[in-house]
Amino acid sequence: MNDPARIPHEERALAEAARAGDHDAFAGLVRLHQRRAYLVARAIVTVHEDAEDAVQDGFVRAYQALDRFDPRQAFGPWLNRIVANAALDLARRRKVRSTEELHDALQSPFRDPGEDAELRTRLADALAELPERARSVIVMHDLEGFTHVEIGEMLGIPGGTARSDLHHARQKLRVLLKDLRG
Amino acid sequence: MTDELKFPERSNRDALAEPLVRLLRDAYAPPGAEAYWHGLEQRILARTSVANFATADGQWWSVLGGWAQAGLVAAAAIFALAGALNQRFNASESQFVYESVLQQNTPEVLSAPTDLLAAPEGSRSDATLIYVLSH
Repeated sequence: MNDPARIPHEERALAEAARAGDHDAFAGLVRLHQRRAYLVARAIVTVHEDAEDAVQDGFVRAYQALDRFDPRQAFGPWLNRIVANAALDLARRRKVRSTEELHDALQSPFRDPGEDAELRTRLADALAELPERARSVIVMHDLEGFTHVEIGEMLGIPGGTARSDLHHARQKLRVLLKDLRG
Repeated sequence: MTDELKFPERSNRDALAEPLVRLLRDAYAPPGAEAYWHGLEQRILARTSVANFATADGQWWSVLGGWAQAGLVAAAAIFALAGALNQRFNASESQFVYESVLQQNTPEVLSAPTDLLAAPEGSRSDATLIYVLSH
């Protein structure tokens, strides 16, 4: 992911220009990366509004730290780590979310309206049963395709711990939702 | 990446079934409307513009801060100097007043009793009256 040869030319040019103080170039980076950054934040804070706050905080922090960014590296993983930190800070400030609140958050307004409401309720209940970090790991890995090492870097844990969290989260979800398995 | 290489098959050996993954994906689905992302982008850029301005503003303040430090030192030095001069001026003024009182009044004050003592009994009261009237 961080192999310089694989970084798209456009992204590298934008990162270099943004680093040199070009605000429009930074806007280009925002356009390229905001969706992925949102997914990282959402995996950690769960609630849509919090994810949006974390994304904004993350981009502002990244903007302020641009002079420390090495443009030979990919911008995305660097940004994602910053956004994940912003989300973790926010999660710490918010402390524990109630199960009900998580439930509402997972009844996302952006869902496919054709899906069965009962299934969604069951899944929300099951996800609310998982420890916070395990929930983040399973979403980052199974939905976003991040590797254990990338997840570990974002959450500040060893890759092996991310792997073990993923294993336990999958096991627990499988037990809680065993009658839904296809 | 290294642990992926060490245990290549393990992370997907216990993968969730596709219907569960679909459900998860649905629960975590991001907003789809392009307008939403445009709005978020604008909010982010507004905040980075403010951050940019604040940084520039901070640089102004840091320059002023440097000046303020030098100004404070200069003001303290001037204040100390003024205090010392004032104290010295007050001391010399007091000394001047003291000396002028001694020089001007003492002979008269001391001369009056001499006049009074030297005068005969009758004219002593006249001399006292003249002295009081003259002052």
